[in-house]
Amino acid sequence: MKFSVTKEKLLEGLQQVQNVVSTRTTLPILSNVLLQANGNEVHVTTTDLDVGVRGSFEAQVEKEGATTLPARRLFNIVRELPSSEIQVDIDGKNTASIRSGQSFFKILGLPEEEFPPLPKFENAKSVTIPQKALRDGLRKTSYAISTDETRYVLNGVLFSFKENKLTLVATDGRRLAMLDIELEFPRSHEADIIVPTKAVTELQRLLTDDGDVKVSVGSGQIAFDLNKTLLVSKLIEGNYPNYKQVIPSEAKERVTLERETFLNSLRRVSLLASDKSNSIKLNFTKNNIDITANTPEVGEAKEALPVTYKGREFSIAFNPEFLMAPLRNLTEDEVFLDLIDEMSPGVLKIQTPFLYVLMPMRISA
Amino acid sequence: MDEKCTKLWQKLSTALKPQVSADTFKRWFSGLELVDATEESLTFQVPNNIYQFWIESNHMAAFQAAIVKALGGPRQVNFSSPAGTQSAIDLEEMGVAKELRIESDRQTKTATTLLGLNPRNTFESFVVGPNNEIAHAASLAVAQSPARTYNPLFIYGGVGLGKTHLMQAIGQYVWTKKKTSKVMYLSSELFINEFIDAIQHSNLVKFRKRYRQADLLLIDDIQFLGGKERSQEEFFHTFNTLFDGHKQIVLSSDRPASEIANLEHRLVSRFEWGLTAELQPPAVETRMAILRKKARILQIKLNDDVFEFLANRIRTNVRRLEGALMRVASFASLSGKELTQEVIEHLLKDILQEEARSSVTIEQIQKRVAAHFDVRLADMTSKRRPANIAFPRQIAMYLARELTKASLNEIGEAFGGRDHGTVLHACKLVKKRMHEQDSIRQTISFIDSSLQR
Repeated sequence: MKFSVTKEKLLEGLQQVQNVVSTRTTLPILSNVLLQANGNEVHVTTTDLDVGVRGSFEAQVEKEGATTLPARRLFNIVRELPSSEIQVDIDGKNTASIRSGQSFFKILGLPEEEFPPLPKFENAKSVTIPQKALRDGLRKTSYAISTDETRYVLNGVLFSFKENKLTLVATDGRRLAMLDIELEFPRSHEADIIVPTKAVTELQRLLTDDGDVKVSVGSGQIAFDLNKTLLVSKLIEGNYPNYKQVIPSEAKERVTLERETFLNSLRRVSLLASDKSNSIKLNFTKNNIDITANTPEVGEAKEALPVTYKGREFSIAFNPEFLMAPLRNLTEDEVFLDLIDEMSPGVLKIQTPFLYVLMPMRISA
Repeated sequence: MDEKCTKLWQKLSTALKPQVSADTFKRWFSGLELVDATEESLTFQVPNNIYQFWIESNHMAAFQAAIVKALGGPRQVNFSSPAGTQSAIDLEEMGVAKELRIESDRQTKTATTLLGLNPRNTFESFVVGPNNEIAHAASLAVAQSPARTYNPLFIYGGVGLGKTHLMQAIGQYVWTKKKTSKVMYLSSELFINEFIDAIQHSNLVKFRKRYRQADLLLIDDIQFLGGKERSQEEFFHTFNTLFDGHKQIVLSSDRPASEIANLEHRLVSRFEWGLTAELQPPAVETRMAILRKKARILQIKLNDDVFEFLANRIRTNVRRLEGALMRVASFASLSGKELTQEVIEHLLKDILQEEARSSVTIEQIQKRVAAHFDVRLADMTSKRRPANIAFPRQIAMYLARELTKASLNEIGEAFGGRDHGTVLHACKLVKKRMHEQDSIRQTISFIDSSLQR
């Protein structure tokens, strides 16, 4: 196999796939990238057996063929090459010769046959989603994924296809983020699946603002076809807990906040929230919120935030990091904070179907 | 039981209501069902696992406070999902990537059974006697003020003398007193396996973090670290980190640290740094006490002479003692027959034989052999050597070699100051004659079995 390509194209192609490369050393083939040259394209594939990504780049293919090369090493070499024109030539023993300007590299690969093939998705149920909507949805929910491995069903985002709606849910037991995307699909395609964190992270990197993504669900697997690239992943097997239970039914008080102003205030005040208690307090009074934090033996911070508020006067404490996470990831200018009392969960909402439930911290008297 | 649970739950609900908001109570706690209550733990059935996740994450403090208020002491809280979902989850688990499953299995297990500690192994259920006084007192001191008194605590003793019991008792004592403390109990074998696993998947950092964050590290059967060099090195660093951070370390082994083969000197010296406590086989009074206590716990009723018989005949090992008790008790309840000495002896034939094997003395052998061949006991040690005396003497030497742990020299000494060569010759000769003549073999095996009865 032999092809020549520009440095930019090759780098771009490798960048699509190189994050997936396995760090496990038990199977050396998993740290390699599969290169397949045919027509005027070279396909690149990596997998760690849980998540696999396949991308491609344009190249002048002189001789078709396939091989696998160490992904990280190849990427590092290509990044440092001096000239824009690169020629790659692979001999029958899977040894790659890379030439660019005055540089010459020779790296040893492994045969194509050893590379585990990506699963096939025949007869899978497919749904098409605008890429922008899915990217937006994942951004607004994925930060709430649990990292606690004992609750493995929570180590991913729930994709719930029901009643012409895709609901994305993530929770770690202290907070929950949920978002609806309107979609049209036949009833037979209704399903609840859990996409693991790694796939969600990769997917967010690959999704763009244009075009659609075709989502195919097979048995225990999912594929996201983004036209040029394809991501396949194992699903987390298990039942996602009944998240609806978490959402408070009614709210007593609602306050409208400017997202960025609120976020900035929180960020400043949280500088004085201690690692230990790690809570900041919101004191609601008429048309004002006092945001305070104090750590014994360190100091305290206070910031007043003028708002429109006519409800009861009370205080509630939250983990600042948990309160800032959604504010950082939302894009809307205005957010609504619904509260019941100091012991009940707060709910953050926006104009579109999204909500974020957050448990308050106990206020020590 | 059900009625008791309902009552208990009502009591608990009343205590809980002021602790949480009305909405929280209605949403999360009204759906719970108390299905099992013991002195140590409460088990609740939840409609589905979100209840468990949410209560554990957000309402555990309030819940524990209510439990203390209603029941007078802390309990371990377990959750179980209804049967249907449970089996579904089991099925689902089968499909999950192997590693993930092993990992999560292990972790959920430790979470629910309190880090793999057997709730029966507490200080209350430990029978103290002169043989284990020091170890018990040291363990209790460590449990009451971890890292303040003896650090590390090194407990050693033979099989079935209560090493594991004491360690687990420390773990549970500390954990019940302070729920937030990180107690880790594991065998050194598990430590080694996890270490190997961590090397394999190159997540050593996670492995280290896991162990070096413990407030109390209990490692059972540390002698298995012998010869495992990398594991020893890893353990050495873990040990230092914990020790420097004033965290308690408790280790157990079947022999003193200095006798563990292939254990690095720096580890040996560290193990001997704190307090070393030995567990010895219990004396007959302690054995009686153990039997009585065990019988009470298991609600077994037996005559005093049965206890006495067991305590007298089984000397070396508490675990074996308890096994014998169980066997006798289950025989009594199943057959309904009266427990005479013969019945018990028959029942415990194998155990008693094992016990006897280790407790035969050279003197007993000499007596028995002399009686059998009708020679004087004095002839066993005399210098006279006509064939009718010399051969029985040689048989006695052979039996002493087979049945006792005495060395050739010791045996020779016991037979009137003969040297080890004589003993060796006797053993060889007897073996040869046994091979040649069936009658001799039968005679010897008869003496052998009569000695062991």
